[in-house]
Amino acid sequence: MRRPALLDDPKRELWLAWYATIGFYSLYTVVFFIITRTQPPGKPWYTPTQVVGWFASNHEGLLIGFSLIFILGGLSATSIALITYSMRRMSVSRAFAYSYLIIYAVSAVPGFLFICVAMTVGAFRPGRDPEILRWLYDLGFLSFSGTMGVFLIGSLIWMAAILLDKNRVFPAWFGYLNLCNALTEVVVAPSWIFHAGVFAWNGVIAWWINVVVFGLYTGAFIFLLRNMILREDFGTGPLPDLLPEEGRRRVLAEFMSP
Amino acid sequence: MPGFERLPGPGEQPVRPREPNERVGHVSVRPVPTTWLPGMKQAAQPIGYHLPPMKRLTGERIIFWALPAVAIIWIAAFFLFPGFLPPMSPEWSAQRVATFYADHTSRVRYSMILFNWFCVALIPILMLIVERMRGMAHRTPILRYCVIGVAGAAPIAFLTATIFWLLAAFRPHRAPSLTQLYNDLAWITFTCGVPFLVALCLFLAVAIYLDERARPVFARWVGHFNLLIAVALVPAGFAGLTLTGPFAWNGFLSFWVKNVAIALWLVVMAVVLGQSIRRDQSVEQVLV
Repeated sequence: MRRPALLDDPKRELWLAWYATIGFYSLYTVVFFIITRTQPPGKPWYTPTQVVGWFASNHEGLLIGFSLIFILGGLSATSIALITYSMRRMSVSRAFAYSYLIIYAVSAVPGFLFICVAMTVGAFRPGRDPEILRWLYDLGFLSFSGTMGVFLIGSLIWMAAILLDKNRVFPAWFGYLNLCNALTEVVVAPSWIFHAGVFAWNGVIAWWINVVVFGLYTGAFIFLLRNMILREDFGTGPLPDLLPEEGRRRVLAEFMSP
Repeated sequence: MPGFERLPGPGEQPVRPREPNERVGHVSVRPVPTTWLPGMKQAAQPIGYHLPPMKRLTGERIIFWALPAVAIIWIAAFFLFPGFLPPMSPEWSAQRVATFYADHTSRVRYSMILFNWFCVALIPILMLIVERMRGMAHRTPILRYCVIGVAGAAPIAFLTATIFWLLAAFRPHRAPSLTQLYNDLAWITFTCGVPFLVALCLFLAVAIYLDERARPVFARWVGHFNLLIAVALVPAGFAGLTLTGPFAWNGFLSFWVKNVAIALWLVVMAVVLGQSIRRDQSVEQVLV
């Protein structure tokens, strides 16, 4: 068998993590938006009987979709690792990178394992007392959108690192986009209080605006991480500009020659 | 701070002046010089660095030899919990589940307190593996960050399950439907909570495969072994889909294959980790 070219690429680990990131976010979108239909979320004002109906109409989707997360959800660590690496490549203290890594690493359990467990337990035994089913429904949606500090503090740390960085790893506009992402976690806090309206967990502000900002933010950082990998020179100074493909190939050939 | 460097004590090696980019204090051997590229197959040469007075491997050996003690506690807690041998069935009625917790309150409490105390002892062991990964022929720390990224969540998912079991046993005479709810939450979190372990095995397998040298940190078969364990853990993720059969939480695949796989992983990784630490130690002695 021919040896794949990727294995001789000095950036192979970065590329593997980047493709795994793409894979994880695709899976995440498909599971939450299509298979389980937990995004857009169910209505927070449902009565216990309506919640029973919601679980019944999404029964297979919830169980199959969250099974996929139970198996592959750990790949979320690849994007965290790449972002941590981006901060190590900056001219800032390692404290930024390590803070980001630890915040995201521990938040996986409340941030996405809880919704998977709560919805699976709910769909698993449909004959349960409707009040208990609604308790699980609330646990699922509120733990998912209400785990806020991770994105809030994590984004602020990343923002500060980008704005302080002298190595030009990320453009300043993305630093400010981090602030927008952090603000979505501020405006989602009222979803712990309101059962209906724009601030409820499915409301215009707490869900629709937030999901658009998060989508743009995620798309932007996946694209910018790709640029970072292409520009990476394994030095410690400023990252070079992104060359056109011909130039990139030439630089790589020079780099690889003994 | 200039002028305040520690002077060598009697019998100690004089402190060598530090290079501008030198990492101080934790690396005595860097088998992968910064100029390493994939495809360059030359044998790694140990590079001597200044060693701090307290050898880092002493601490690593302490963590390593704590593992057998912790493993004994894990095994004891496993046998102490009355719901594992044989595993409780998801088909039990709420009343039967409530009776179970009323009858075995103490054993549930003591076993789950033990697990709650000691399940996070997995993290230092994983960090020893992360430290060995520094010696791998990788250009970037990405795979180490990936392992650190899942190392915390893996035992914390299990810790969450122990909390649900303890809650079920805290007031065993509450409404049976509530005891059943806690029991379901515990078993689903315990059985399905494998994503971080699956990812851990995958990351380690990739890291080992990419460590392409004549004398890698972990042999190639350890990579195959990690892939195999990742595959063995997959069926447990489907435990929510059924109350009976091999995929149910008490089934052959979701309970026995998964838990035996985790136990086997611990034993095999402990052995190869011990060998790797010993190898580092002999290099360290040569350098001193």
